[in-house]
Amino acid sequence: MDLKASERQEAVIPTASMADVAFLLIIFFLVTFQIEVDKTQVELPATGIRLEIPEESAYVSITESGVIRVSGGDEISYAVPSAEEVFSLASVVVSQDPTKAFVLKADRDVPYQYVDEVIDALKRAKVRNVYLLSQQETRDSAGGGAPGGAGGG
Amino acid sequence: MQIERKNKVDEEIPTSSMADVAFLLIIYFMVTSTFAATRGLDFALPEEEDNPPMIEKEESVLIEIQATGQYMVDQQPMRLDEILDYLEPKLERNPMKPVIIRPDQSAPYGYMVDVFDELRSGSEKGVEVKNISIPTQREIEAFWY
Repeated sequence: MDLKASERQEAVIPTASMADVAFLLIIFFLVTFQIEVDKTQVELPATGIRLEIPEESAYVSITESGVIRVSGGDEISYAVPSAEEVFSLASVVVSQDPTKAFVLKADRDVPYQYVDEVIDALKRAKVRNVYLLSQQETRDSAGGGAPGGAGGG
Repeated sequence: MQIERKNKVDEEIPTSSMADVAFLLIIYFMVTSTFAATRGLDFALPEEEDNPPMIEKEESVLIEIQATGQYMVDQQPMRLDEILDYLEPKLERNPMKPVIIRPDQSAPYGYMVDVFDELRSGSEKGVEVKNISIPTQREIEAFWY
């Protein structure tokens, strides 16, 4: 009897769905992608309470050395020589949108004087909502964050 | 004579390189995207008034933050975790009691945020501090007495 040789099947790895998966991931990245208007590198203070900051908020960042950068929320932040420029920018922003939120992104080690001047400028410009940008407080930072211990009286 | 038919070539759109392109795009997005902090403490600024209400010093609680990071609450040195316990009986008598945070100008900003966060988190511990004020140096010079 003549035995017919069975048809040999080619061994292939099915890759047709790989593109679907990859494009799904791309769509995910595209949807979640946000343009960061301020890329100033600062060491943020840690807090237990952290509320979501509204999108397109204006930014004021202060580095440890006291360099101030501002952004109205639409453009990339730029350095300004003093807090008085913050007042100018905030006045313009508030006149266009009185409910605009401002994000204060200050280094935790910056002397309070710089922050005080910026907050004062925002108050004078009649800004209502300010968010103090922070990072998540961890157990370590909560324990080690308390400075000074039992104050030396 | 019988002419042998040529092997028929299957029609197909070559998609094998599509995955390569897609993964390249993914790598690009992964490399360029950053994890930006988008959360923080909300800090509602009061409306600036020409004639702000005067608060008697005795009515408020003053939390001073010294440059060294020590906290003085009504002139008494105190640890951060003791402040809410100190405030609790005062707030029971007067829930709207003003609590004023006054950091030294050279104190690191992080200490002010620590105190502010501690006061704000009081509501979770049953000590809600409703009236927190952080006057600026200009306001202190103008209105402090």
